[in-house]
Amino acid sequence: MLEYSFEGFIREDGTVGIRNHIGIICSVVCSSVVAKEISDKVPGTVPFVHGNGCAQLGDDFKLTKNMLVGISSNPNLHSALLVGLGCETNQISGLLESIPDTKPVKGIGIQQMAGGENTIKKGVEIAEQWAREAAGQERQRMPLSSLTVGILTADLDEDSLFKVAPVIGEAVDRLVHNGANVIMGLSKTLEPAGGLLSERSAREEVKNRLRVMGEGLQRKRWKEISTEAPAYQGFSEKERSQAVLEAEMTGTSPIKSLLGYSEIPAERGVHLITVPGNIVEALSNMASSGCNIVMIVSSRGVLTGSAALPCMTITPKNQDDYFDELVDFRVGEGEVSDQAEAVIADLLEICSGKQTSLEKLELGEFSIPHIGTTF
Amino acid sequence: MKTFEGYRRANGSIGVRNHVIVINTVGELAGLTKKMAQLVPGVIPVAHQAGKAQYPEDLEQTIRTLRGTAGHPNVSAALFLGMGEGDPAEEIVSALKKDGHHVHAITFQKGQSISVVLNEGKLWLEKAMERSRNEQKETADITELTIGLECGGSDAWSGITANPAIGVCSDAVVRDGGTSILAETTEAIGAEHILANRAVNPGVGEKFLKIVKDYEMRIRDTGEDIRSANPTPGNMAGGLTTLEEKSLGCIKKGGNSPLMEVVAYAQKPAEKGFIFMDTPGYDVESVAGLAAGGAQIVLFSTGKGSPTGSPIVPVIKIGTNPKLYEIMSEHIDVNAGKIIDGLNTIEEIGEEIYRKVIEAANGVPTAAEKHNNQEFAIWRLAETI
Repeated sequence: MLEYSFEGFIREDGTVGIRNHIGIICSVVCSSVVAKEISDKVPGTVPFVHGNGCAQLGDDFKLTKNMLVGISSNPNLHSALLVGLGCETNQISGLLESIPDTKPVKGIGIQQMAGGENTIKKGVEIAEQWAREAAGQERQRMPLSSLTVGILTADLDEDSLFKVAPVIGEAVDRLVHNGANVIMGLSKTLEPAGGLLSERSAREEVKNRLRVMGEGLQRKRWKEISTEAPAYQGFSEKERSQAVLEAEMTGTSPIKSLLGYSEIPAERGVHLITVPGNIVEALSNMASSGCNIVMIVSSRGVLTGSAALPCMTITPKNQDDYFDELVDFRVGEGEVSDQAEAVIADLLEICSGKQTSLEKLELGEFSIPHIGTTF
Repeated sequence: MKTFEGYRRANGSIGVRNHVIVINTVGELAGLTKKMAQLVPGVIPVAHQAGKAQYPEDLEQTIRTLRGTAGHPNVSAALFLGMGEGDPAEEIVSALKKDGHHVHAITFQKGQSISVVLNEGKLWLEKAMERSRNEQKETADITELTIGLECGGSDAWSGITANPAIGVCSDAVVRDGGTSILAETTEAIGAEHILANRAVNPGVGEKFLKIVKDYEMRIRDTGEDIRSANPTPGNMAGGLTTLEEKSLGCIKKGGNSPLMEVVAYAQKPAEKGFIFMDTPGYDVESVAGLAAGGAQIVLFSTGKGSPTGSPIVPVIKIGTNPKLYEIMSEHIDVNAGKIIDGLNTIEEIGEEIYRKVIEAANGVPTAAEKHNNQEFAIWRLAETI
């Protein structure tokens, strides 16, 4: 077995980033334009703007707060500047208290700074200082045990699954064998394989949850609009057979845990993570759970990436015309082990700084899912 | 009779701005929407993350908002970006075209290259910009104007200065035959009986009480208490103690005119006069709903100071206290704090706001417009599936 490594940026807590972004993060939609303007003025910064942050209650609010804490903590961020309004539910002070002390983090508010102009001026000053520091930091050779790789499937048809899944599965096994963390998005299409996946977990709780999911119990629905839908619904044979193929992408090692929103894995290995049907929100959740990079496995390529994470787009080879400029890796007809090796080689190059297609096109977004309504 | 100079649209409506926008139907295209807008100077991106993985009623509201936004009289032309088969972009565009709007849809299909699509969009937008530059203004009557009423970052002065002054303006607009839409159902809680009593008939009153009650029920169903999020931390720092107190001040924006109609979020009123729209207390989402429902200008009172605007409508900021105006004048159009200092009466500030409305309608940029504050978000009714 080859000794895999990549070149990354080491953070104070020992975690490793593969990018050195300065995050400019709004706490609420009201400061989104100001945050974006700060970012526009300082090269090396990335804006994390979203529509949430106020008039939210209970779990929906906690999710927003946790996701911003998670994004700020992501090792791909060199530093994080939180930009608030002042009167919002999601207070900057609360965010600052919750973000672990692993990197430069500061918070400023428009009301506290007496206006947007002052806030932009102050924000630019802070970000420029950090940008200088970040530019002086050099990449260091790192082992795979400091890497967390996400996998997200998007619009995969059966034919593509058939070609791609064995290669990804083999690559995942090698990554995990070398100490990397792998977090696979628990998409709706993967759910029917819950029974199969449950056999790979040693933990009773994880086993049970996966088994129940595989039986086709519906997710909790918003009751006012779904009264006609049955409470119990099984899966079709086709859904099951596709799910089995999709499950192959998780490789063969034990499933360590089922991660919710913004949950960071407690041990190394293969994990599954909750992903909503909106791809930007799915990627944002992976970022807030500590992923460094995501492999987006698709039949056609996707039109957006993540603001925090390089997204390596992987498709089957025979569809050259499908959003050609979006694809990073095409799985062909060759030996599975050779292709898995090639996937890892490309992945590690991206980790060491090579731009992905989506990065070149500057298509990276951020969004926070809702689990309730705003008020 | 009061008049202003606006842009006459094919469907007879009148715009106070002449925007060319790019708008996406699904979140995956938000990045490309911004990229597309950057290709042609002056084009405004209206990007959002809604449109995918939503429950039916929630999705319906999103689509209604997108349609209302693109079909707004302030919009000269709108380019929709959609994704794949079954995307609503084509359907929205064909409905808007029937109503005489200058709109176009680009739906990404398998096999298309991004550069080709970006180029197609760029060409359409360049022509749309040229077309908009050639559109002439004409004189319109105040009866063709709809204002929306909003407050954000309220303090203890809101209900004493800015909101009653907005109420004076609202009554004057209604008296002159125009339309004024009060929003924010959250901030009617505790004061609903007052507005219900002003309903033009029992049906309207009952409908109003029902949306407020449904609102409270929807919150209770989640096991939460609205009072734990509202008043917000900033409201409390500003001296507000309870939601009821906030609400009593909030509804002052609606003046004393009879309540003619109650409409859903982003729904266009059928009546003229004083209207209520069911929106959340979340400012940016509420303003987006008012705009999508046809308001050409939004009045926005603030006690703590908020820079937010809209990509579609001029937002006029009315500051509630003199200190705010002193430190944050860049975000304030009218200083209602002068009432506290005894320099002006509520009536006089109300008249000043009305003059600002006409000024903004004639094309003078508001504070939010000067700073390009174009925050946009759609009210989400339920979780992302």
